[in-house]
Amino acid sequence: MTNIDDLAIEERIKELFEQNYEMMRLEGGHALSADTKQSALNQVLFYWRKLREVAENVTDTEVILSLPEQITPEGRKYTIEGVVDIIREQDQTTMYDIKTHDSDYVRGNVPEYEKQLNVYAHIWQGLRQQELDQTAIIATSLPVTLREAVRKDDQRYITKEIQRWQPLIDIPFNQEKVAETISEFGEVVDAIESRQFQPPSLEKLKGKLAGKKITFAVQVCRNCDARFSCSAYRRYVKSSSSQADSLLSRFLNDYGSDAEREDFLYANLENIPDIESFDI
Amino acid sequence: MSINLEKLWQLTQPEPFEPNLNQKRAILHTDSPLFLTAGPGSGKTRVLLWRSLNLIVFHDVKPEEIFLSTFTEKAAFQLKEGLRSLLGLVTNLTGKPYDISKMYVGTVHSLCQKLLTDRRFLELGQRSPVPVLKDELGQYFYLSRRKYWQTILEKADFDLDIAQATINQFFNYNSISKHNAVSNCISLFNRFSEECLTPEQILARIQTTPVDDPDTFTNLTKLYDEYLRSLQQSNPPQADFSLIQQYALNFLEQSPHSGNIFKHIIIDEYQDTNTIQERIFFKLASGFKNICVVGDDDQALYRFRGATVENFVQFPSRCQEYLNCSATEIPLNINYRSRHQIVEFYNDFITRQNWRSADGKGFYRLVNKDITAFNDDRTTSVIASTPAKPDLVCEEIALLVRDLINSGKVTDPNQIAFLYPSLKSKQVERMIDALEDVGLKVYAPRARRFLEVEEAMAVFGVYLLIFGKPVRGDFRGADYNDFHQWLNNCQEIAQNLIKEDKALKAFIEEKQEEINTALNDYRILSEVAIAHKWDKTQFYDPHTMKRLLYSARGLSNTAQKNLGNVYFDRLVKQKLETKQPLTLSYVINASTSVDWSVLDLFYRLCIFNHFKEMFDQAETGQDEGPICNMGLISQYLARFTDEYTNIITAQFLEDNRFQLTLFMGFLYSLFRRGETEYEDADDPFPRGRIPFLTVHQSKGLEFPVVILGNPRKDPKLQRVEEIVKPVLDRQGEPLERMAEFDVMRMFYVAVSRAKNLLVIAHFKGPGQKLTFPFNEMLNDRTIARIPDFDPHSLPEAKESNDDLPKNYSYTSDYLLYQRCPRQYMIFRKYGFVASRSQTMFFGSVVHKTIEDLHYLLKAKKGTQNLD
Ligand code: SF4
Repeated sequence: MTNIDDLAIEERIKELFEQNYEMMRLEGGHALSADTKQSALNQVLFYWRKLREVAENVTDTEVILSLPEQITPEGRKYTIEGVVDIIREQDQTTMYDIKTHDSDYVRGNVPEYEKQLNVYAHIWQGLRQQELDQTAIIATSLPVTLREAVRKDDQRYITKEIQRWQPLIDIPFNQEKVAETISEFGEVVDAIESRQFQPPSLEKLKGKLAGKKITFAVQVCRNCDARFSCSAYRRYVKSSSSQADSLLSRFLNDYGSDAEREDFLYANLENIPDIESFDI
Repeated sequence: MSINLEKLWQLTQPEPFEPNLNQKRAILHTDSPLFLTAGPGSGKTRVLLWRSLNLIVFHDVKPEEIFLSTFTEKAAFQLKEGLRSLLGLVTNLTGKPYDISKMYVGTVHSLCQKLLTDRRFLELGQRSPVPVLKDELGQYFYLSRRKYWQTILEKADFDLDIAQATINQFFNYNSISKHNAVSNCISLFNRFSEECLTPEQILARIQTTPVDDPDTFTNLTKLYDEYLRSLQQSNPPQADFSLIQQYALNFLEQSPHSGNIFKHIIIDEYQDTNTIQERIFFKLASGFKNICVVGDDDQALYRFRGATVENFVQFPSRCQEYLNCSATEIPLNINYRSRHQIVEFYNDFITRQNWRSADGKGFYRLVNKDITAFNDDRTTSVIASTPAKPDLVCEEIALLVRDLINSGKVTDPNQIAFLYPSLKSKQVERMIDALEDVGLKVYAPRARRFLEVEEAMAVFGVYLLIFGKPVRGDFRGADYNDFHQWLNNCQEIAQNLIKEDKALKAFIEEKQEEINTALNDYRILSEVAIAHKWDKTQFYDPHTMKRLLYSARGLSNTAQKNLGNVYFDRLVKQKLETKQPLTLSYVINASTSVDWSVLDLFYRLCIFNHFKEMFDQAETGQDEGPICNMGLISQYLARFTDEYTNIITAQFLEDNRFQLTLFMGFLYSLFRRGETEYEDADDPFPRGRIPFLTVHQSKGLEFPVVILGNPRKDPKLQRVEEIVKPVLDRQGEPLERMAEFDVMRMFYVAVSRAKNLLVIAHFKGPGQKLTFPFNEMLNDRTIARIPDFDPHSLPEAKESNDDLPKNYSYTSDYLLYQRCPRQYMIFRKYGFVASRSQTMFFGSVVHKTIEDLHYLLKAKKGTQNLD
């Protein structure tokens, strides 16, 4: 393939991305801010630039895997579902799970992904009666340094950072824990069906997320619209604030930082319709 | 291990399946068209299930080569799960696995959408643009935007001053309301699309056939043309529910492969298909000619959605016409559902009508169905109340229901269903009151408006306090008065809330203050622009303008911060660099808008106890009613932000425009359309409550006890039928008979839902009337009456056990729940729409585009290999 072809593909990616974005936005997604949208597009573009041999060889994309007839510990019947990509070559079949996660995070949490991919592998092998040779995660989130290079729009720096980037993470193929994972899965199904929805403990909110420097409360709760009505988050705020009195007003005016505010305004102002056209 | 169908039937759980002769014939029929006429309770779902299994297991048909359309998503899910489980049984015996994830099972609409992205119909590497689907509410808002509505009216040569009156007049309404005009147009447009009529065809027919008021008809057709055009030309193209089918048909007509993708086309509830659907099905079947339809003309309910029962009744001749071959007809006429008397009752009911066609040569229905009950229990199973005034009848029925529950003949109150032609009626209210008087609980989500549930009134009451209440204008009809009454009630509820909760009061005042500040800042900045003769549409030049705006007298800190912060500077610079500089108007709007959307406001409200308690109750599984409604409120608010805007600028707030848009534009529309309460598709009949359903809702269901709460529906022909009749290709049932036929079929469906007992309310007295033939049948002296009926004579109802296995996704269920069960509950289980979180959307776009990229590369490789 020539370079011109490559460029044509990148152009196609941009077009496809734009179409998908518009369609999904109209189907009820909210608009993404310009920056966020660009970073979503970049994930696809750099996936293509970095892992083209993988992309070019995918034989089955977005395969729906389902494992029916599972029984929970409390006797409920259910089906497990997942989605993967597959590459079949002459002598080798690999299963990929593409995630918009950060590759360092994935490397730091291999056991978590190991559980998931091995369940998927189990389903695949059962369904297709075909051995799998390898399982891997593709983590498409751009590393900070690559993002920086893109921001500076410095080609040499970008090339160097692409080389350093390791988005493909092998996940040990190990079917031993499958039964255990499935039984944990069943317990979660029981919990959901019996309506157990209490928030996690204060300790969990205060604790750091695996492989990350930031706490659950900051990473997850701060982005959760349900935090205002959440007893756990309320406890967290109380316990970490010296002025208990200002609790309420802090709560209520917590719309995020200036950057977030700009993002919010900007994402939406671009779509601000002509007020005159509103129906009154 | 070798297996065959008989062996599998024997192994079926919980008991072996013993198909009757015709069921067996139907299951084994595997090529050429098949016409299954299936009476109520005749086991057709089972037949479809086993027929599919037969094709897959014994005839080597791949699941993705089967197209199976059902009437509801739930029915589709049931079929799919049933099939999965039977195939699992086969796998256990033979070791051969089956994967049905690519099989087409679903409603026509969802399958049409699926078709449009199915790459098997395309040449390698092609991609067809899929239109964005507008649901009914979206269609309504799209058309009723004032500017859009006026533009298309003008283009269609309507006189704007009288357009609405003219349109409504054409539909026999004496009204100038836009809401009515838009609703009327929607019903007509949908019908045009469903009948597969193009504007050109309609216009040509208006020329050649006599129609009422040809001028208005012509203009309405032009209006339809404009509507179609604007949807097609938007980017990406859009489609309503009827047009998505049109897209699918066009798509199939362009593909050379259309007839050769599916080896089997199977359509359930075929009596309720419309013209465009018929064409799609026959197109798909054109290659292999294996089309199997199942239905019952006596249960046709959806004329108002363009369905024509003739598609079913004349299926054999349609096969000749489209496929040039004949269909095998197999009747499924043994009823496994109901006791003997019930079956006799509805056989008698339907044949009292004269179905003979006008020329006397045939019938408008399939006659001689000869439906027989499998159950030979001939004891009393159809009873009527003592003929009396409504209050007394309701009381008598309520007491009977209480006795039935106490006698243990039903295992739960949800096994007794009340069916009505419509739930918005006085008779329904009376009945609910009577049941509640004897201490019973009912579940009637469609009996009242969603906006009238407590949670909605409290939330919108608070919004009224914040944004102010619209002033009531002159009398404009009953809806308008009711809506203002609703506004008053909401406000009162909210006022009571702030009496109890000082913090909520403070919150509301703070929001009002923010609005005032924004408005004030907006005025100040606009004056600066005027003073310097800047036009608001000109580009913002930070060097000359920023300082002047920033230091304007009286400008609030908030606006100053907005104008002056580094992020905003960065944005301005970025836009300048990319040659898309911001306009002055943008800058003023951005710095004078409040920093929350209606959805943000909603989530923040939930900090206050009245609302927070609803979440607390759901977390521990105590009561999920309130949270379901809160979830729905969030969906409607998200709808508002989608239809209008997410951001509330001061410009929008000025002159109460925002207030009017939210209340008199958006909520008033929801109110008038009568949008109903939350219903859980997975759990439609909560335990402990007696369900009230419309007959339409009861389609395909069965209940141990059915109570027909109001055996009266006056036949009324829908105007749209009269309008379209002259321009249609095929002439079906005559106009003057349609309405009475439809009433017959509707009640036929109602009475055939009953398994063990059918109870009919017999109203008598001034103003009371029974619909034919109930008047004859209930006045017949042989019908048993409630006082003579002994509940102990009833067989015990079995615990209904259709607890289907549910699908759980590894990432969006298991992992999400593990992260935070509460967050899972709110956003995943109860469908709250997040206000700011973008992670889901982000991930979907990335995945979808990578999927497309993979297909693109695969196609490229394919062509290279050919080279
Ligand atoms: S704030 Fe949201 S994510 Fe955090 S504990 Fe509460 S519900 Fe869970």
